[in-house]
Amino acid sequence: MKRRTLLQAGIQVSLGAILFPRAAIGAYPSGAFLAKELPQALREAFGSADIGDSDKIEIEAPLIARDPGMVPVRIRSGFANTESIAIVVASNESPFTAHFRLYESQDFVSTRVRMAATGDLVVIVKADGVLHANRRPVRVGRNSCEV
Amino acid sequence: MGASIKIRAHEIDGQVTVKSVINHPMETGERKIRKTGRKIPPHYIREIIVSRNRRIVMEAFWGKSISRNPYLSFQIAGRKGDAITISWLDNRGNSDTATTQVR
Repeated sequence: MKRRTLLQAGIQVSLGAILFPRAAIGAYPSGAFLAKELPQALREAFGSADIGDSDKIEIEAPLIARDPGMVPVRIRSGFANTESIAIVVASNESPFTAHFRLYESQDFVSTRVRMAATGDLVVIVKADGVLHANRRPVRVGRNSCEV
Repeated sequence: MGASIKIRAHEIDGQVTVKSVINHPMETGERKIRKTGRKIPPHYIREIIVSRNRRIVMEAFWGKSISRNPYLSFQIAGRKGDAITISWLDNRGNSDTATTQVR
């Protein structure tokens, strides 16, 4: 019986990997996700940690996170030719959180992130090949989560 | 297939707003079982692919800081009847795909 379940798990895994419509574009940026510090994460993901600030990037997030395990974030890039939007939670042990690559005209994404401690939500937008950053502080109360 | 993904997509003035929730534990690998003190192994979605009418419009890479039962919303150009497909792939090689029509 044990062997059967093991076999089934194996089949499920391989099927999953085949069924997934892998895009030809880009591999998982492991280096960025493994980085422990914000500047290193940015260097891994974008090749540079020196990114100019821009108020055009709108970040909507709560001032105080009621549930640090589910902090809603809404991002509008404000740039016409937005190519990608990345979210970095500066205070997390592994700050790099998400990288959305946009292949058609889009400038909005929204998701929910974990925050281990009070800190900045940093959003990096690439538009017309140029990187822009904006940040928004979020306070986390006592009932923080492990990230 | 598709049981883990809920998608809603509606169009206003040529703009499609997509909202989705994926059922997934998104284990970080840091959480411990209180009784034994053993860590629960990481289990999280690493890649998302979104297509409209079978053309890829967005690809996302996720880490462990995305919340449990991830929420994803975005906006693209489109019209009623368009097919929006969302697929995920996690670190164990499991995946799921769901499609909905724009209302």
